[in-house]
Amino acid sequence: MSEALLDIRVERKNFGATTVLTNVHLALQPREAVSLLGPSGCGKSTLLRIVAGLEKDYQGELLQGGGEVAFVFQEPRLMPWLTVEQNIGFSDDDGYDKAWVAQLIDEVGLTGFGQALPKALSGGMAQRVAIARGLYSRPQVLLLDEPFSAVDAFTRMKLQDLLLQLAEHHGIALLLVTHDVDEALYLSDRVLVMDNRPSSIRQELAVELVHPRDRRDPLLARLKALALTELQRAHVI
Amino acid sequence: MSSKSETLPVALAPTLTVQRSAWPRRLKGLALPVLILVILEVVVRIGWLPSYQMPAPSEIAVTLTDLAEGALWKHISASLLRVLLGFTIGAGLALVFAAWVGLSREAEAYLEPTFAGLRSIPSLAWVPLLLLWLGIDETSKIVLIAIGAFFPVYLNGVAAIRDIDRKLVEVGQMYGFSRTRLVRRILLPAALPGLFTGLRSGLSLAWMFLVAAELIAATKGLGYLLSDGRETSRPDIVLAAIIVLALLGKISDGLLAALEKRCLAWRDTFNGQGPEN
Amino acid sequence: MKPFFNTLLGACALAFSLQPPAHAAETDPAQVNLDYAYYSPVSLVLKHFGWLEEALPQTKVGWVLSQGSNRSLEYLNSGGVDFASSASLSAVLSRANGSPIKSVYVYSRAEWTALVVRKDSTFNSVSDLKGKKIAATKGTDPYLFTLRSLQKAGLSKDDVELVHLQHPDGRTALEKGDVDAWAGLDPHMAASEIQAGSRLLYRNKDFNSYGVVSVTDKYAKEHPQTIAKVLGAYEKARNWAVKHPDEFAKLLADESGLPLDVAKLQLSRTDLSSPLLTAQDVVSSKAAAPILVSEELVRRGVNVDQVIDQLIDPSFGQALPRP
Repeated sequence: MSEALLDIRVERKNFGATTVLTNVHLALQPREAVSLLGPSGCGKSTLLRIVAGLEKDYQGELLQGGGEVAFVFQEPRLMPWLTVEQNIGFSDDDGYDKAWVAQLIDEVGLTGFGQALPKALSGGMAQRVAIARGLYSRPQVLLLDEPFSAVDAFTRMKLQDLLLQLAEHHGIALLLVTHDVDEALYLSDRVLVMDNRPSSIRQELAVELVHPRDRRDPLLARLKALALTELQRAHVI
Repeated sequence: MSSKSETLPVALAPTLTVQRSAWPRRLKGLALPVLILVILEVVVRIGWLPSYQMPAPSEIAVTLTDLAEGALWKHISASLLRVLLGFTIGAGLALVFAAWVGLSREAEAYLEPTFAGLRSIPSLAWVPLLLLWLGIDETSKIVLIAIGAFFPVYLNGVAAIRDIDRKLVEVGQMYGFSRTRLVRRILLPAALPGLFTGLRSGLSLAWMFLVAAELIAATKGLGYLLSDGRETSRPDIVLAAIIVLALLGKISDGLLAALEKRCLAWRDTFNGQGPEN
Repeated sequence: MKPFFNTLLGACALAFSLQPPAHAAETDPAQVNLDYAYYSPVSLVLKHFGWLEEALPQTKVGWVLSQGSNRSLEYLNSGGVDFASSASLSAVLSRANGSPIKSVYVYSRAEWTALVVRKDSTFNSVSDLKGKKIAATKGTDPYLFTLRSLQKAGLSKDDVELVHLQHPDGRTALEKGDVDAWAGLDPHMAASEIQAGSRLLYRNKDFNSYGVVSVTDKYAKEHPQTIAKVLGAYEKARNWAVKHPDEFAKLLADESGLPLDVAKLQLSRTDLSSPLLTAQDVVSSKAAAPILVSEELVRRGVNVDQVIDQLIDPSFGQALPRP
């Protein structure tokens, strides 16, 4: 087994009296794309936040194999007073790497918008900036928390393709939280299905398709049926 | 497709209306004051209003010109200096305290009740106290003005910091920003809109407290000029002083507003009826 | 257009409310307001004994405390009082600046002001005050006294720092050390001398102006009988004061809240013997008036002599019955 990029084990995570996560274990390999699929409130976002270091109060262990970890939130969360360029290079204050930022802007398809302010961007464009910001620190792992849930279906598909492109190009592993079954299957190598609180990982679906994938591929449809069956059994749907 | 044919005129219309309405808009603002001045002039000249109680606007204009040739600039500079000093001190302290209380629950627990109590002291009630403790010199005046400027800036500052979107702060936390870095890079810029509101409010209060300070035991300044006119039965001087005060207040607020506009150009907010409506 | 009409209507309403109601013959007014002051001891007598209320049984009599000539004249101009007690030179200043008032009676001729310094001060003459702080109530006799004294010593008001404080506050400022000198006014001046040991740096009887009771032009035209009755009551009070000096002093002390010796000191400098305005008074006012022009207290181009002629009206005093 190759060196895992990160290994997270959560025995128990409570919010007050409610137990949200129980006995969760996942390991992420380099260049791997893993989705956490489950209903709202099942703790998948919490798990992601634990991995990101935003939640520290849990029983368990997080092992990180070195390398940067970056986070993309559900909302773009851009600093409204900074330009697109400055937002992307945010972690480096004023001395951000201009050439690298310019390249990232091109890669996410926002050429020419470097000097724009967030108020001038559409939702989809803002999320592209957020992704670029995530990529700025040259991470090995990109954590994404329902990153495309706030945009329309067509933009979502475009952004999913963009994400795959970038992950491929920069050799980044993805850990993605989503409630969209199609998205999980389209993007990931493995889909981890979670159930209601207190949740753990009920099922792991392997998606053995090469990229680029065809959304119309019948294998995806079959896997979707499996996932839906499992979700039904878990009384999620 | 109907949407296509609509886009063209809609794209043209905004530019046309902006050019046409900029001029009349300014005139509209002037219409009311000019009307009032004309009516006053007529009413006083006819004699319906006695001129020893309400001088005609033309008379006030003459007084202003006379003053402008003489001591007016001395009074203006004295008042301006006091306002600037008092405002800077008051607003500066307020920003420091607002940051402290806004960022630290402990500090809030200790300091907020005291400030809330002090805030409810009516402005003019400070005057006799300060005169007693600090005398009739510049110190008591500047302290009074500083007190006036302090509270709006402090209140708005705390509210602005508390209002900051937690989601933005989390971005900084995720990057592992230190406390100072969080303040500098996220909290301060995000709180700026509220801070500016506080600063403008504080400035207008500083002017108000200036007049209160100068009405008592001053030897120069616009408030002194005001009381001067009062004591020597010169309502024209009273009104002239009021006009100059209003002008200076408006100009200083205008400067702050312009600064605010520049610093906050990034804001994505509702600002009245736009041409799209 | 609607806002225009509303403004016009409002202005008309305001203007009409200021029109005088027509009078057929003079009846006693429903209300008359007078001021009283510690610098006008006779007013205190009048208020105390209620002789005015007796003389005007149909009228409600209101009394307003005045802290100085500047206040009295302000109340007169705004309609707060019908009869104002002020220094004569202050009345001249007021009239010269456009207030339509007439002086009708002299309530006292006193040496009531001087330049006061602390008991330990090293100043010896007025010229020592160059560049120093002097507390003086703008628009009152002490203020004008100061200007005249400065002029005599070759200084102008810009050579010193004149701090505008009402009379009692000026005393406090002097005694606390906030100012170097104070243009004092009795009884506060007398109190400062006796209680704090302050000394009078510069006295000049001629630079004191006499105290007058003034009314507005309009009032003089419309209520001559009322004025006569008020002055008659004033005379009654004055005669009592002249005949009962000890009780007078005690009354002044009680009313002003100051000790008896302070009251006595003030009254020792007060002359109540000639309440009528004479040609001599006109002359002395005219002699004092130039200071108003030279210190730019009046508007440019005002003929102060003419103002004094219009201001001083001896007719009311002459119409009084002789005792």
